[in-house]
Amino acid sequence: MSAVTVDQLNDGGRQSAEDQARAAELKRLERRDGWRRRIPILPALIYTILVTQIPFLFTLFYSLTDWRIDTPDPRQFIWFENYGSLSGDTFFLDSAWVSVQMTVMAVLGSLIVGTGLAILLDRKFFGQGFVRTLLITPFLVMPVVAGLMWKLQMFNSTFGIIGWVMNQLGLEPVEFATRFPLASVVVVLIWQWSPFMMLIVLAGLQGQDQSVLEAARVDGATSWGTFRQITLPQLRPFLELGTLLGAIYLIQVYDHIEVIVGGQPGARNLPFYIAGRSIGGGNRFGLSSAYSIVVVLASIIIANIGLRVLSNLLEDDS
Amino acid sequence: MAEVQYKDASRIYPGTDEPAVNKLNIDIPDGELLVLVGPSGSGKSTALRMLAGLETVNQGAVYIGGTDVTLKPPQDRDIAMVFQNYALYPSMTVGENMGFALKQAKVPKDERAKRVQEAARILDLEEYLDRKPKNLSGGQRQRVAMGRAIVRQPQVFLMDEPLSNLDAKLRVQTRTELSDLQARLGVTTVYVTHDQVEAMTMGDRVAVLNFGVLQQVDAPKTLYSKPANKFVAGFIGSPAMNLFDAESIDGRPAIGGVAAPISDSVAGQLGRVDGAAIGVRPEHLKLASSGIQGEVTVIEELGSESFVHVAIQHMGERTTIVVRDEGETETTRGQNVHVDFDGPIHVFDADGERVD
Ligand SMILES: Nc1ncnc2c1ncn2[C@@H]1O[C@H](COP(=O)(O)OP(=O)(O)O)[C@@H](O)[C@H]1O
Ligand SMILES: [Mg+2]
Repeated sequence: MSAVTVDQLNDGGRQSAEDQARAAELKRLERRDGWRRRIPILPALIYTILVTQIPFLFTLFYSLTDWRIDTPDPRQFIWFENYGSLSGDTFFLDSAWVSVQMTVMAVLGSLIVGTGLAILLDRKFFGQGFVRTLLITPFLVMPVVAGLMWKLQMFNSTFGIIGWVMNQLGLEPVEFATRFPLASVVVVLIWQWSPFMMLIVLAGLQGQDQSVLEAARVDGATSWGTFRQITLPQLRPFLELGTLLGAIYLIQVYDHIEVIVGGQPGARNLPFYIAGRSIGGGNRFGLSSAYSIVVVLASIIIANIGLRVLSNLLEDDS
Repeated sequence: MAEVQYKDASRIYPGTDEPAVNKLNIDIPDGELLVLVGPSGSGKSTALRMLAGLETVNQGAVYIGGTDVTLKPPQDRDIAMVFQNYALYPSMTVGENMGFALKQAKVPKDERAKRVQEAARILDLEEYLDRKPKNLSGGQRQRVAMGRAIVRQPQVFLMDEPLSNLDAKLRVQTRTELSDLQARLGVTTVYVTHDQVEAMTMGDRVAVLNFGVLQQVDAPKTLYSKPANKFVAGFIGSPAMNLFDAESIDGRPAIGGVAAPISDSVAGQLGRVDGAAIGVRPEHLKLASSGIQGEVTVIEELGSESFVHVAIQHMGERTTIVVRDEGETETTRGQNVHVDFDGPIHVFDADGERVD
């Protein structure tokens, strides 16, 4: 470097012209290198854009039209009128509120149950692998099947297990899904999502340095004190990740609601409402598209928060 | 502050037959720094963790301050431990790390802050109190781990290879600081290391373990001058003692055809030379005009001294004997020399036990 500087002092003009040529050449090489790395992933990229972004663009376009199946002029362009009607649509606001309650309760519930299960599993015992597999199975059940199982075998007042237990206790069995539609759906969601949270939290627990826990014991901390002061802060990124992924998925829940409670207003969330307004018989495709866009935007915001959480998690590891 | 005792203490890990620590007996007086040393896997950490309460004592007992603590959990033993990887609490600052034990003991906040400050001053950590462990260097982390221990003013310090993650220079420096600190605080300390130099320089007394069995516990000087058996003789000292199976010349143990000048009483006690071993430290040999015949193969020049490796014929085989030479040696590689005895000779019987 210093040699170049001295040369430049002696013979400024020619050197700097040469330097410029060198810099340009370097840049060209860098660019070529960039493309060489990009080209192999191009097909995948194009495919991804085609299948995800094009439907989205169509939805965006529909959301600006008054498209419904029963009007003579199906694609009248009405700009943001659909969006404007959002705030006045009390059904929309109701289902948005249901969505919020359902997501928050299901995520928190499954997080708490999952953490509990993870703590129980985070020790060595005979048959550990088998028990873990058993605990994971709810997550592997198809949502529709899970819904049917709970509706018929648990909640049903005549044949359901809950009804039977209440009968044994001398209580009058109730039709759970009808009386408490939101709670019923949340219970099934917690049942199905706890294993997922368990796996995430278990990864966090098993990544802990054992000697740190031993140090806490030697330092006089109780089990609960160790959990609260040492383990929980270390689990935080894992809990955040679980919250995020759970929320993104649970905002979109549809199958469980359809199967367990049908269209009962108490458990009608946004996806259910949107489906109802479009393919479910409302046939208001333009309006529903606008609603979907709103849901997508909300999800993107959540996903962004989540990505930040995730990158923090990875940074901490290095 | 308190004395510590192991009484026939054994640890057998579940699923293993051999005890990791086998009937350990050590009495550690109040204020002593006892070093547990031995090769990797010899049971040093296990012995320490038995004292900490982190490992079950399957047989025997451990005492702290005269009280049997064998069945007590770690939090009831009033001990502080420094772990090899420091085991700092990652989500807490340096100050919180050091104050953690006091907080658990419900020490009032200002008293806590005062003691943390005091420890931080001793260890030169004052400016780092608000940092998280991950933003510290290895040496600083080591000091935080020390600080966490001394803040507690416990009965006993337990340290499991606390310096092994430091680079060589820092290790030597910290070694002296640490034993100085221990002497000043006067807290009984059990210190584990696999490094015999560290053991010899730091310990008031050193306990040598091998395969979970205590070989000898003595002051460093005694360990060096009177090793109780062949294992200790070979383990302690750098460069290592020259140890050979003894050959017999006129009923006396010998090396390379030259009988070792041992007293009649030692020779009498030893009896049969077959199976016995003979050991001489490099500084107790000299290059001379007569003695064991050999050829110089390697010369280690260390400035103040040099170690000359000499290939000799011993019991029909070619082996090497190491001789210490003063200052700059005049020998050269390939030179034919004679090695003669010039100091104490260690004799071990067929069971490897010292004969005196
Ligand atoms: N948790 C354990 N389970 C079974 N064996 C163990 C366990 N910990 C240590 N050991 C065994 O006990 C012996 C002593 O180990 P350790 O005390 O860690 O040795 P050191 O600290 O001297 O290197 C070794 O043979 C080791 O394999
Ligand atoms: Mg060890």
